[in-house]
Amino acid sequence: MLSRNLRIACRRYSQSVTTFRTSEISPAQQNSNQIGLFYTLDNDLCKQLYGHGGLPKCFLKQTKTFTETTFMIRQPALEIIECIKATDFNKPAIRYVLHGEEGTGKSMTIAHLLHYAHQEGFLIIHVPWVSNWLRRVSRYKEMANSLTKEGFVDIPLDAAAWLLHFKTQNQHLLKSGELKVSKDYEWSKREKTPAGSTLLELIEHGIVRVKYACDVVDTLLHEVKLLSNTKQCKTFVAIDGYNGFFNPLTNLHTPTKKKVAPEEVTLTASFLELTKNDWTNGVMLLSTDAIAHPEYEQESYLPKYLLYRKGFDHIDPFVPIEVSNYTEKEFMTCASYYRDRLWLRGSPDIEKELKITSAHNPYRFMELCAPL
Amino acid sequence: MSRILQLSLRHINSVTKYPNQATNELLKNCARANSNKTRTNSDDLFQEFTDWETLNKKKTVSKAMKAYLERAREHDDFMKKQEFEFTVGKRHLANMMGEDPETFTQKDVDRAIEYLFPSGIYDPAARPLMKPPEEVFPARKAAEFDEAGRPHHFLFYTGRPNFFKLLYDASEHIQNIYKFEDKVIRKKAIPDPNAKLELTSSVWYSKEELEQHLVENITELEYENFKLVMERLVSLPYSYRSKEFIEKVRKPIASQKFALEIPKPSYDEEGREYITTYECLRKKARGDVTIRSPGSGKITINGKDITYFADTQSREQVTFPLLFTGMEDRVDVECNIEGGGPSGQAGAIRWGIAWGLRSFVDKSMIDSMQVAGLLTRDPRKRERKKPGQPGARKKPTWKRR
Amino acid sequence: MRNSLYVFHKLCVNITPGRWPSLLLQNRLYAKYFPDFFQNPIFRKEDQAKLIENNELSKYTTVPVLPPSASETSMHFDPLVNKVINHIMKDGNKKLARSLLEKAFENVKRKQIERYHLAKTPEQKAKIELDPKNILHKAVENSKPMLQLLPIKRGGITYQVPGPITEHRSLFLAIKWLLEATTEKERTVHFPEQFAWEIMDAANNTGKVVKRKQDLHRLCEANRAYAHYRWQ
Repeated sequence: MLSRNLRIACRRYSQSVTTFRTSEISPAQQNSNQIGLFYTLDNDLCKQLYGHGGLPKCFLKQTKTFTETTFMIRQPALEIIECIKATDFNKPAIRYVLHGEEGTGKSMTIAHLLHYAHQEGFLIIHVPWVSNWLRRVSRYKEMANSLTKEGFVDIPLDAAAWLLHFKTQNQHLLKSGELKVSKDYEWSKREKTPAGSTLLELIEHGIVRVKYACDVVDTLLHEVKLLSNTKQCKTFVAIDGYNGFFNPLTNLHTPTKKKVAPEEVTLTASFLELTKNDWTNGVMLLSTDAIAHPEYEQESYLPKYLLYRKGFDHIDPFVPIEVSNYTEKEFMTCASYYRDRLWLRGSPDIEKELKITSAHNPYRFMELCAPL
Repeated sequence: MSRILQLSLRHINSVTKYPNQATNELLKNCARANSNKTRTNSDDLFQEFTDWETLNKKKTVSKAMKAYLERAREHDDFMKKQEFEFTVGKRHLANMMGEDPETFTQKDVDRAIEYLFPSGIYDPAARPLMKPPEEVFPARKAAEFDEAGRPHHFLFYTGRPNFFKLLYDASEHIQNIYKFEDKVIRKKAIPDPNAKLELTSSVWYSKEELEQHLVENITELEYENFKLVMERLVSLPYSYRSKEFIEKVRKPIASQKFALEIPKPSYDEEGREYITTYECLRKKARGDVTIRSPGSGKITINGKDITYFADTQSREQVTFPLLFTGMEDRVDVECNIEGGGPSGQAGAIRWGIAWGLRSFVDKSMIDSMQVAGLLTRDPRKRERKKPGQPGARKKPTWKRR
Repeated sequence: MRNSLYVFHKLCVNITPGRWPSLLLQNRLYAKYFPDFFQNPIFRKEDQAKLIENNELSKYTTVPVLPPSASETSMHFDPLVNKVINHIMKDGNKKLARSLLEKAFENVKRKQIERYHLAKTPEQKAKIELDPKNILHKAVENSKPMLQLLPIKRGGITYQVPGPITEHRSLFLAIKWLLEATTEKERTVHFPEQFAWEIMDAANNTGKVVKRKQDLHRLCEANRAYAHYRWQ
C-alpha cells in the first residue's frame, strides 16, 4: 500500500514538473539539485566557443528554431566538474573517457564542459570531430606528403581550419601575449618563428601559410605541453570521436590510390602525442563514439571495443564516464521544455508513447517530436 | 462378422460415391419428385395457374407427367432402400462397437467410422462417412407441372423459377419501399433512425447455401446479381419494412467466444501475478509473451529492451496495446520471439500483449480492445508463388510471339 | 425467357441516379482471410469515446473485427497522413516514405515556429498554424478539384466533356498533383524541403497545385457547351 502511494506520488510529481530552467548560468556553480534543468548560454560566447564546430549539426538547427542555446545539466558533466575541482594539477593529466550509446549526449557533455573550461580560464584544445579529418573526404581534399616527417601525410586545409578554431576559442588568453614560444622554428629559408614570439604569431603563420599548417599544429601542441608543465597555463584537451584515430584505415588516398592508415597522418601523430600523460597541469576529455567506428554495426559501445587494443593501451589509465539515456525526471523536463518551445504539441498521451518508443534516448526523442 | 463388415462397407461405398453425379441426371429433367420435401409456394401457384377447364375436358395424362411419375416412384424406392440399408448398417455398427443399437446416435456413428476407417485425406468431404440418406442425397423438387403438362410456376421457362422469383420479389419490395418513401416525403416526415435494420450480426447466404435454399443451381454471375439486388434493398432508408423477406436469405454470424475463456493469472516466486501467451503468430514470426503485474512498464524482447526494434513503426506497434489500455506503467512485458522480420515480430508481440492483458483489465476494456481489433489474430501469410508465372499473382509479360 | 427479361427490366427501372447504394463502395479487401462481414476496427481514442457515449460499443462486440494494420497503431495516427505516405512510397519501402514525410513536416514546423517568433503581436501569433498535420489537411483540401474533364467520342471527334468528380478521385488527384509538383524540382533540392514548400503554398491557396486546379476549372468552364454529351 505504501509503495503504491509512493508510486502515485512519484507520478504526480513527475507529471507536474513545470520548472525546466535554471538561472544558474555558470557551470562551476551548478550542483546536483539542478540535474535535468536547462540553462541558457550567451550568444556571443556560443559563437566564440562553438563557432567553428563543437555542437552537433542537429542541435545547431534546434538552436536556430528555438532562438536560444540551452544545455541540460546532466550527471556526467557534473561528475567531471567535481573531479576537475578536486584534481591535484601537479600530477600527470587525468584522462576522462566518455562513452555511451548513440545519441545519448556525449558531444553535448563535451560542449557543456568546454563552457566550464572557458570560464575557469583553461587553454582549450578542442577537436570537434576526429572523423572530419580522416573519414569525411570531399572530392577535392587537399593532401600533401609531409615535408618534415618521412612517410607521413599532411592535410593542411583541415589543420589551418583547426588553427582558426583554436584561435577563436582562446582569443582572450592569446591576446594577452603571455604565452611565448620556447625556441626558434625555421619553416623555410625566409620564414621562421623566433624564440619569444607569442603563440598567436605562430598560429597566424599556420593560417596564412597553409602549407606549414600541420607542422604548426605539431609545434603548437608541443609548446602548449611545455607551457603547462611550467605552470604558465592550464590546459583542457577535448577530443570528440577519439577512437577515430585508431581505426584500421582512413578514407584518404594517396595519389597512387593507396589507402592511408590513421597513424600515417601528421595530425594523428601530434594529437596522440598530446594525449600521452607525460605532462602536468591539464585535463583530457576524450569521447569514444560508435559512429566513428568503421563497421556498420557495432557489437558494443564500450571503449575497449571501439578503441581496439592499441588505443586502449595508449590511454590506459583513464576514468571512464558513461553518458546514459534520460532518466524519468530528465525526460519530463525535456518534454516540458520542448512544449514551451512549441517543438512538442498535442495531447499529453503523446509523451507517454514517445517515452516508450524513444526508449528515453535524447536524440531519438528529439527526432520523434519533429513531425508532431 | 465378416458379412456385417461387408454390408456396412458396401453401404459406406455407396454413400461415398459422388452423390451429385448420380442425381444430376435426374435433375436434368424438369420434373422431379421427393416424398420428404415439397415446396409450399408451388402449391398455391398450382391453384392460380392450373387451367381446370381444359384439364377436365381432356383427362389424359401427358407423357412428361408419366415419365415424371415413373421417376418419382423409382426415386422413392431408391430412398426407401437406402433408408433400410442405413438403419441396418447402423445397428450392425453399434453391435461391432459393442453398444446398444437402440441408443446409437449419429454422433456415435461418426465416431465409430472415424475409428474404424481412419483417414488422412486433407479434404474432410472426401473422407469416409455414414450419414442418413436424406442428408447425402440432395433434396429434389416436386412436380412443377400439372397432369396436362402445363407448368405451375409463372417463371418456369426461365429455367430457375425459384431464383428469379426471389429477384422478382426483391424488386417488388424495392418498388413498395419507394412508394412508401414518396408518401412519407409528402407528409414531410423523416425516417425513424431507431427502426434501422441491424445487419452487422448476419451475412448473406453463400452461393452454396442459397442453392440449397432454392433447390436450384445458379451461376456465379447470378449470385452476384442476387447480392447486388439485396444490397440495394438494404440500403434504402425504409428497408426495415421488408425485414422478414431480407432475413430469409441471411444467416447469423457465430458470436465471439473469447470473452468467456479468460485465464486466471498464476503467481511467480516474487509473488507477482503473471500470464504467458504462447503461440503469438504473425507472418513468419512466432513467440511467447509474458505479462507480469504489478510492474513498472519494463519491456524485454529477447533479452534487450525496446531498442530491439530499430524502426519507429515496430516500436509503436509493441506499445500500442499497452497505451490503449493505459497499462503502460503497471505491467512488465517479456517476449521471446523468433522468425520473420521486424514488422511481423512486432505484430506477433502486439497480439500477444493484447491477448495477455485481458486477464488484467476489466470487462469494458476487453470490449474496447475487441472493437479496436486488437484481439483479432492476423492470419495473413506470404502468398506462394505459382508455377508458370513469375510471382504469386504476376503474370508473364505479354509477347506477340 | 420473356419473364426473365421482364424481371431484368424491372431491376433496370429501379436504378435512378443518386440512389446508388453506398455499401457497394468497398473500403478494404483481403484476398481470402477476412470475409466481407468483418468490421473495420475503431481504435482511435476519440472514436472509441464517441462509441461509448452513444452506447454503441456493445453492438460491435459480437461482430468480428479486422486487426488494425501495422501503420495504424500509433497515438497520433491520421488517415490522410497515412494515405499520403502510401502515395509517396515506392517499391513497398514504407520506412523511407514515412521518414520523408516526417522530414517534410519537420521543415514546415521549423518555418512556422520561426514565423511565430518573428510575429510581433499576439493576434498575429495566434493566426499562425503550427501543426504540420493541419497544414497538410488544408493543402489537400485546397487542391481538390470539383470538376473533371472526360474524353467522350461523338461523331469521330473526341470532346473534353466537363462533369462532376467523385470525392475519392478528387482526393486522389489532389495528392497526385501535390507530389507531381514536388518532383518537378532541381536535383540539388531534396524531396522533404520541396514538399514542405508545396504544402505550405497550397495551404495558403497559392502555388503550382492550386493554379493547376484553377486551370482545370477554367477549362471545364470553357467546355461547358459540350456538357450535354455526357448523356446524349
